[in-house]
Amino acid sequence: MRRATWHLVLGGAAALTLFPVAWAFLTSLRPANRIFEVGPTAVTLDNYTEALTAFPIGGLLWNTFLTAAAVTAGQLAVAVLAAYGLVRFRVRSARWIVLAVTVSLLVPPQALLVPQFLLAAELGWRDTLAGLVVPQLAQCGLAVLLLREHVRAVPASLLHAADLEGSRAGETLRFVVLPMLAPALGAVGILVFITTWNEFLWPALVAPSPEHTTIQAGLALFGNQEGPNFGPLLAAAVLACLPVLAAYLVASRRITDAFLGAGVR
Amino acid sequence: MTGARPYLAPLVLALAVWVYGPLVWTGALSLLDWDLTSPDPEFVGWGNFAALAADPRFADAVARTGLYVLGMLPFATVVPLGLAILLWRRPGRASHVYRALLFAPVVLAPVATAISWRFVLHPLQGVANTVLGALGLPTPNWLGDPATALPVIVAITAGKIVALNLLLFGAALAGLDRRLVDAARVEGATEAEITRHVVLPQLTRTTAGLALLCVVVAGQWVFTNVALLTDGGPDGSTDNVYHWLYTTGFTFFDAGRASAAAVVVLAALALLFGAGALLRRRAS
Repeated sequence: MRRATWHLVLGGAAALTLFPVAWAFLTSLRPANRIFEVGPTAVTLDNYTEALTAFPIGGLLWNTFLTAAAVTAGQLAVAVLAAYGLVRFRVRSARWIVLAVTVSLLVPPQALLVPQFLLAAELGWRDTLAGLVVPQLAQCGLAVLLLREHVRAVPASLLHAADLEGSRAGETLRFVVLPMLAPALGAVGILVFITTWNEFLWPALVAPSPEHTTIQAGLALFGNQEGPNFGPLLAAAVLACLPVLAAYLVASRRITDAFLGAGVR
Repeated sequence: MTGARPYLAPLVLALAVWVYGPLVWTGALSLLDWDLTSPDPEFVGWGNFAALAADPRFADAVARTGLYVLGMLPFATVVPLGLAILLWRRPGRASHVYRALLFAPVVLAPVATAISWRFVLHPLQGVANTVLGALGLPTPNWLGDPATALPVIVAITAGKIVALNLLLFGAALAGLDRRLVDAARVEGATEAEITRHVVLPQLTRTTAGLALLCVVVAGQWVFTNVALLTDGGPDGSTDNVYHWLYTTGFTFFDAGRASAAAVVVLAALALLFGAGALLRRRAS
């Protein structure tokens, strides 16, 4: 294949998928009354100041960060303990637990929403951080399966040596296994953080009010208002992507590797 | 078990409370007529299932879920496969940049992506129709016309799935035995022959796996875009089973009917998986 054709196909594919987002970004920098123009206009940050005053963007971003950070920390904690427990102790129930974890990944979230919502409401968790975070901890199935592979890769001789020196299971986890798991924890953590940051369905249900919800659910709220004001809305959309996108620009390799690890298994 | 218990307890507890408890609860709700708020739900037995069977809207949503699967299938298999091979053929700086650009849709927030598309496809003033109009081409109401809405949803979702599967095909290609390729080249095989006889056979497993995944979850992939861009409309033309579940529960507050549909969907998925597992066992 000729070099030009090669560039045409790959560049074309990239342009097709990224054009709308790039166009939205460029438009967010146009003056509010000229957003539908195609040619170049003056560049201004008016849409951003408007978005920050019209919508509670700062609070939403903060809620989203807290939620994503707490879910990441929580899922990693639950998953590390479980992965270690499954590998270290040859319990008879291990097969059933792994099966339950796998099935939990395959159940479509929409099929469980009604009871999950009722339970969260019963607990008084509507519009609370607990309501945003705790139910999402149960989505740790992928983290469990990924980390289990990494714990398995820890040489058995190391675990035995630790045992012989009389360290208890908890100490072996903390001083032998965890340090070796650090890179894997980083990758799985990135994956969980991005997924949680981008989640919109559950936050929209459990935290419906604009002050308590996340940026994605908030965007969906603003976007559904009658005759959306596209200038500030697009600026808000850019702000909703920015943290993750910035991270991707800095560490694209680590992030693709994290998703790769999730996909390969 | 005693030693393992403290390690496994948090996981088991989380799954029991937020996945398996709700699963059983869904089963129980499917036998009730309930609007989520009234104090005394009415027991209707199989009534919800009978109502589903007689509901043409539900049948349409089921059929359209299949349509989404068909629409997404090339974007889960052939398209990312082709792009991955192109990237693999010319390793270097340019292919690195394309790889990074093509993966970006995976990390971009789905809500922001959907809003961008809605802006670009705005029927009167959007850039897509402005350009098409200037070229003298038709300017459809992309998301407002039943004829174009579903293909547009598929196209928008495709960006993300192509991106993810391109990464997976790329990984499979990276694990491919270069010596086989070199040997074929020494024998005088053309690029096309190498692709067909050396590369493709080694990607069959990955392709089959991703195709199966698409069949099972394509309906969920499009959910966000359906919910945000068309809400199942116009005239139900983009509704699918998962969106139907969601609106029946939370827009129409028909918890019983929604739960019955959830039970049907879960049973169908279990059957699909069973069949898939059986096929794989027979193949190996």
